[in-house]
Amino acid sequence: MTLYNETAPVLANEEAGCRIWLMTVRAPEIAATARPGQFVHVKIPGMEGHILRRPLGIYAADREAGTVDMMYQVLGFGTEHMTELAAGDAVEMIGPIGRGWEVPEGCKRALVVAGGVGSAPLYPLVEELVARGVAVTSVLGASTIDALVARERYGAALGCEPVCSTDDGTFGHEGFCTPLVEEALREAAASGELFDYVACCGPEPLMRLVASMAEEAGVFCEVSLERRMACGVGACLSCVVDTVDGKKRACVDGPVFPSKKVVW
Amino acid sequence: MSREPRATNVNLAVNLGGLAMKNPVTVASGTFGAGMEYHDFVNVATLGAVTTKGVSLNGWEGNASPRIAETASGMLNSIGLQNPGVQHLKDIELPWLESIGATTIVNVSGHSFDEYVSVIEALEEAPVDAYEVNISCPNVDAGGMTMGCHVPSVEKVVGLCRAATKRPLIVKLTPNVTDVAEIARAAEAAGADAISLINTLLGMAVDARTRKPLLARVVGGFSGPAVKPVALRMVWQVAGAVSVPVLGMGGISSGTDAVEFMLAGATAVAVGTANFCNPTATVDVIDGIIDYCESQGVSDVNELIGGLLC
Repeated sequence: MTLYNETAPVLANEEAGCRIWLMTVRAPEIAATARPGQFVHVKIPGMEGHILRRPLGIYAADREAGTVDMMYQVLGFGTEHMTELAAGDAVEMIGPIGRGWEVPEGCKRALVVAGGVGSAPLYPLVEELVARGVAVTSVLGASTIDALVARERYGAALGCEPVCSTDDGTFGHEGFCTPLVEEALREAAASGELFDYVACCGPEPLMRLVASMAEEAGVFCEVSLERRMACGVGACLSCVVDTVDGKKRACVDGPVFPSKKVVW
Repeated sequence: MSREPRATNVNLAVNLGGLAMKNPVTVASGTFGAGMEYHDFVNVATLGAVTTKGVSLNGWEGNASPRIAETASGMLNSIGLQNPGVQHLKDIELPWLESIGATTIVNVSGHSFDEYVSVIEALEEAPVDAYEVNISCPNVDAGGMTMGCHVPSVEKVVGLCRAATKRPLIVKLTPNVTDVAEIARAAEAAGADAISLINTLLGMAVDARTRKPLLARVVGGFSGPAVKPVALRMVWQVAGAVSVPVLGMGGISSGTDAVEFMLAGATAVAVGTANFCNPTATVDVIDGIIDYCESQGVSDVNELIGGLLC
């Protein structure tokens, strides 16, 4: 798999809600080869003293248009700086990087669980699952209604509303999304139509919980992990994750790992 | 598209203590893997040399995470020399480097005097063009003290490595010493063919909000553009103290940076942290050296070595 380092003109960069932004760039080589769950390593211009790139999940890759969408939460200097970019600016980005979601052979029913901006790298997976004819149940959790920024895209891809929760109860179930995950797994077990795949991305405590629920239900589960990263291409060994097979690089051995491999 | 340096009439070839380099640019150990990870971006066979990530005898697991932190114009790392051991290097990386025609420097690490020797012995039949001995490791034979901070330890480890090979032997110095010239002279006297410096500066970073260190190991190695003045100063001091050639590194990200190191006395240079920000940094540096030489009427890059006017 070839990596590209593209100078990517910014086409749009807007706040979608609650300090969560959407950036669309033109990066035809990355757009043409990206697979669900992969990420890009972005050099944001004008950051001078902040020398490292920022890893961002690919929210959407449009082969025809040659565009890549990234969803990011404003958390620090880099993402704060990103919000100042507008059409006419450009970022440099390496991609598409990493091991993405690997849907098990013969998958018929999938449960996709996203917390916060974790909904971004899961969205291309939902599209792929739907295209393959897999029945998808999707659970989206967020802090508040304005942070459920991916809800409409998920709805359009699924052809139905995703199951949602908000911590403050402004939309859907009030509280964390984990009871919704439990319920979905229980209903599947009761109906006899078991899930054969769970994919989860979000805060690590959420992924850990979902992984243990999936394990209890006997369903294969993958999670997408995030670590501080320097090179983004597998050379520096900064971003390692503890796994049952030893330390693995989040950037190229992941970011998606089978949950049973992760030592939490 | 994999980049290569542009064509030029300037002679770029240098000789680093017996190691013939087609141009004066290699990479700092640990920032480039063994080149495979960067081959989509630059043709690593066109570099003066590829310096591989530090290798120990049976491999090390490395340190806990988080292992890096970004700081002003630089970064801290505490990877802990994670590596899968010398056999893996022999089985996978070295044959690959040989197959593409790369010039290869293997960075050798150890936790004891014997371990350095064992690594070199394991590599003597392998396609390696030179060794770089990393003496910034803690030494279990001396109570965990950093080998490169202690003259008798430097003499001993360099002497043992020298006896183990006839290949060019580069000794990489830590900057975390009082008198780097004294350490360099000890390495030269014990048989080093070249001196490389600087390894990272010991530093730390704190998150005031959480009141916690940013690195799991609290302290780590500081690198990046911020360290360049310190590195230049030490290269200049060492080049003046020894007669063997110097491989200079520390914050190099452009051709101009590289030229500055050569003027200060370096025969060759290494690109390190810049690889993380810019995956074509190595070729950009070579092209920048060519630009400089052409615009300054320099026909041979060797003319730059030690050319500082002061």
